[in-house]
Amino acid sequence: MSVFGGDSWAREAQQRKRRVEDLALEALDDASSYKKLLSGKYVCLLCPHSPILDSPLMLSMHSKGSRHRAAESKLKERELARQHEINKRIALSDSSVGTANHNSYHQKFRSVGKPLIELSQKATSEILCNQTPQQSSNNRNHDVQLILDRITSGNSNPSQNSFCPAIEAADKLVAQQQHLDLHERREMELKFTAAGWKRDCHGKWFRDENVEFDSDEEDPNVCLG
Amino acid sequence: MHKQKAMFFFLLQTEYGDIFKVTLDHDNDHVTELKIKYFDTIPVTASMCVLKSGHLFAASEFGNHALYQFQGIGDDADVESSSATLMETEEGFQPVFFQPRRLKNLLRIDQVESLMPIMDMKVINLFEEETPQIFTLCGRGPRSSLRILRPGLAISEMAVSELPGVPSAVWTVKKNVNDEFDAYIVVSFSNATLVLSIGETVEEVSDSGFLDTTPSLAVSLIGDDSLMQVHPNGIRHIREDGRINEWRTPGKRTIAKVGSNRLQVVIALSGGEIVYFEVDATGQLIEVDKHEMSGDVACLDIAPVPEGRQRSRFLAVGSYDNTIRILSLDPEDGMQILSVQSVSSAPESLLFLEVLASVGGEDGADHPASLFLNAGLQNGVLFRTVVDMVTGQLSDSRSRFLGLRAPKLFSIVVRGKSAMLCLSSRPWLGYIHQGHFLLTPLSYETLEYAASFASDQCAEGVVAVAGDALRVFTIERLGETFNETVIPLRYTPRKFVLQPKRKLLVIIESDQGAFTAEEREAAKKECFEAAGISENENGNVEPMENGGDEDKDDPLSDEHYGYPKAESDKWVSCIRVLDPKTASTTCLLELQENEAAFSICTVNFHDKEYGTLLAVGTAKGLQFWPKRSVAAGFIHIYRFIEDGRSLELLHKTQVEGVPTALCQFQGRLLAGIGNVLRLYDLGKRRLLRKCENKLFPSSIVSIHTYRDRIYVGDIQESFHYCKYRRDENQLYIFADDSVPRWLTASYHIDFDTMAGADKFGNIYFVRLPQDVSDEIEEDPTGGKIKWEQGKLNGAPNKVDEIVQFHIGDVITCLQKASLIPGGGECLLYGTVMGSLGALLAFTSRDDVDFFSHLEMYMRQEHPPLCGRDHMAYRSAYFPVKDVIDGDLCEQFPTLPLDLQRKIADELDRTPGEILKKLEEVRNKII
Repeated sequence: MSVFGGDSWAREAQQRKRRVEDLALEALDDASSYKKLLSGKYVCLLCPHSPILDSPLMLSMHSKGSRHRAAESKLKERELARQHEINKRIALSDSSVGTANHNSYHQKFRSVGKPLIELSQKATSEILCNQTPQQSSNNRNHDVQLILDRITSGNSNPSQNSFCPAIEAADKLVAQQQHLDLHERREMELKFTAAGWKRDCHGKWFRDENVEFDSDEEDPNVCLG
Repeated sequence: MHKQKAMFFFLLQTEYGDIFKVTLDHDNDHVTELKIKYFDTIPVTASMCVLKSGHLFAASEFGNHALYQFQGIGDDADVESSSATLMETEEGFQPVFFQPRRLKNLLRIDQVESLMPIMDMKVINLFEEETPQIFTLCGRGPRSSLRILRPGLAISEMAVSELPGVPSAVWTVKKNVNDEFDAYIVVSFSNATLVLSIGETVEEVSDSGFLDTTPSLAVSLIGDDSLMQVHPNGIRHIREDGRINEWRTPGKRTIAKVGSNRLQVVIALSGGEIVYFEVDATGQLIEVDKHEMSGDVACLDIAPVPEGRQRSRFLAVGSYDNTIRILSLDPEDGMQILSVQSVSSAPESLLFLEVLASVGGEDGADHPASLFLNAGLQNGVLFRTVVDMVTGQLSDSRSRFLGLRAPKLFSIVVRGKSAMLCLSSRPWLGYIHQGHFLLTPLSYETLEYAASFASDQCAEGVVAVAGDALRVFTIERLGETFNETVIPLRYTPRKFVLQPKRKLLVIIESDQGAFTAEEREAAKKECFEAAGISENENGNVEPMENGGDEDKDDPLSDEHYGYPKAESDKWVSCIRVLDPKTASTTCLLELQENEAAFSICTVNFHDKEYGTLLAVGTAKGLQFWPKRSVAAGFIHIYRFIEDGRSLELLHKTQVEGVPTALCQFQGRLLAGIGNVLRLYDLGKRRLLRKCENKLFPSSIVSIHTYRDRIYVGDIQESFHYCKYRRDENQLYIFADDSVPRWLTASYHIDFDTMAGADKFGNIYFVRLPQDVSDEIEEDPTGGKIKWEQGKLNGAPNKVDEIVQFHIGDVITCLQKASLIPGGGECLLYGTVMGSLGALLAFTSRDDVDFFSHLEMYMRQEHPPLCGRDHMAYRSAYFPVKDVIDGDLCEQFPTLPLDLQRKIADELDRTPGEILKKLEEVRNKII
């Protein structure tokens, strides 16, 4: 294979370009901020003077610009003010019903107490006992029993006791693993380049013509693939 | 040419070493006949000189120089050709044949050791001695050798005899002051004294008058002809007629230390009392004076009696409070203290050394008479100070660390002058040589006690005790810095490496236009059979080495008569594994088919299972004339087997040129093949080319590596600094030298600095400027972008020349090493002419100022005999830069005294201080 990849290279490159453009468009916040014209160009709907941009890349660049940002925030501000105004008017029109509703909602929440703690406790027990979540309202005693169980069995199994840090550690480990993998991979790649392998534009490895190889040398396409 | 009144003749030598005697028959101015006669065969010389005394000095082309004595002047019948009888035929003149034979007219009586040429050198402490050894590959063809140099004087052991116990001390005494030789050797044990008389043989005697039931503290000749034995309880004075006088110590006190010269004796009693005796006119030993010291006496010594005086004026006393006192022995002074010197540690031994005045003596040195006090301190330091001959004041002190044991000092005689033997963890000799006081180690084991020894077999020897043996030896080749051990080799040695694990040396040897050892032996045998000379009786187990013992019965040793010559395109070569400890070759691989080895290195390939491998670069059928051509080049890879003692070929890889440089780099092999620098990895059946750079100007001769830098030496264009980028698998040059240097030797000094030598006899250092170096290290491309912009085929950066000096001799090897334990490193070089030199870096600005001024005055005041300008010589090719010629400065003591004083005045110092400074610098190197 030649350095420049052979016959499939141009079309694939074009497709790759298109894909990059799609991704650039996707990256923009909402589809309502621009419009694709029939000519294939894009127009920004946020900016007051509606600039026309040639390609999605240019559009994405434009949307990062300061003028566009200013226009965007101005628009948002206006939107918020309008929403506020609407809310105020609705409140004025049916005040009694609305307030009662609100109160009951708040009370409901309060009665539950500390929802986050409760929730996390539930999740804890769930994971620890590896069983279907018990409905706490069913049997308080059972719940207590469960907690006691946990305390007594805690000594015998420290990993259960400190499950939270364990998870964190595991997370860290995973991250480290990834990092290590990356590092190892980088090291492997360096080893292959030093051994005379080169990469074409697809990221495929091929042998440098000026370098000699052993008959049973490892192929990075297999190793790193 | 040799001329006598009645006759004259010429001696001519051919390139094979045969000498012919040429005589002319003539009638006044008209030559009638020219006769040429085979004379003898000696190694090829650069020059021969016939001396009036009937000697011939042959300055060898390579190897040791020799002095021959004429046994005859070739008057015997021998192959002769004459212009009158010469036959001319159609094919030209009829040749005359002769057979080389053993020396008939000459007899070799002495030789001057010469390392010429040094091909390679390494300084390693392979034998784990106190100082490292210098391993040099020397000589050429049949006279090639590996020489192991040790700093110090060689000694030759005359006798070693076991004694019944472990002796503590030994002395030698004469019977009369006018005797030439010693009469007795007295050995003291812990509870007895043994007396040996010296005659034809050395045997024990009991009629000498010495008390043999007690240990001795000192034994010496007193007065003109009586003997004295000092033992812990008294002094025994033995008169010539056998009368014995005994002086006993008062009370229960014992004698602790003794000091004496021919006419005076001082003893120190335990408790610190000093008693002084003198020999009176009748030869009687009389107590003269007493002195109470503050504490115990550690050691004492009396200065020798000056010529024509009755007594010496100075007594030196060392005390345990780390002081040395000089006491006056003048009768009117009453043992008053003249001066006190404090020292770093308690003195163990004291010795006065008198240097006689010399004006234009045979050694060409001028110095006034002076008296030195030497003290061996308990911390192993030798302390040396000048004693004022009039006032007894001490001045100008110097100290030098000798070894781990407190030095014991003994006075001995060397070349008729008094010298000093210091016994520390190894013995040292302090003596005056050509105006310098030299303190040199002896290559001998640790000794306990020593005394000078003179007998008719050995005029200036030393008798010493060590362990339970008595040893007699002489010190040889005074004035030399190194003593050498010679191991003969087969062909011209080229390079060598150390096999690190087993401490073996791997040497490559090759010769052009020679026969292999087997062919040579076969031809020799045939020749001898044809000539009817019986081969040695010892069953023809002749080693195929040259050299060895010159006196053996080999009829025509190769070392003397050379190898037979083959066609010039024929190469022979071998790879040798040598154990330097036993001087034995453990493996010798002869290369076949006209291949010759040119480069060698050990290499550890990364993640390959073999461990350390040996890479040898060879060339097949190399020719230099009419055009440089080569049939093929190879890189052989050998594996060490049998614990490193032997080699096994793993594979050989053909390359397109001669691999002239090999080096390990990041677990791979870097090879310089012509102008290509190439990186190889180890494959199953051959080396695999991984990366190369073809941009070097002519031919790569040296490769050094450090971290990711590669320092490449080109044969004509000095150094190129390269880098290897793993991520791009590329070698690129980021800096080079702006001066075209024809490199002969190179050494890596530090990250940015290289030392090199060119074939015009210059030594130089180049350094990459700090900012450039930093820039390259910080640049993520490592200066690669700049390299790509390189202009006029050069690298983007240039190195600076920081040191330049013309040595005047082609340097073949360089190494940074320290020759003294704990000393700083210096750069050692070896040259084609066989000299070893050292460059020492100054550490202070003051020293630089001092020596540059001294050099300047020496240039002005001491121009060389032939009138060449020193500055011009040292700048022969490039202006000398930042190097001071130590050899010139060392000539300071050979100047006339008034000139010395004049220069010293200019430098604001005394001549003594200058000498001290010179000695200091010398002691930093060796």
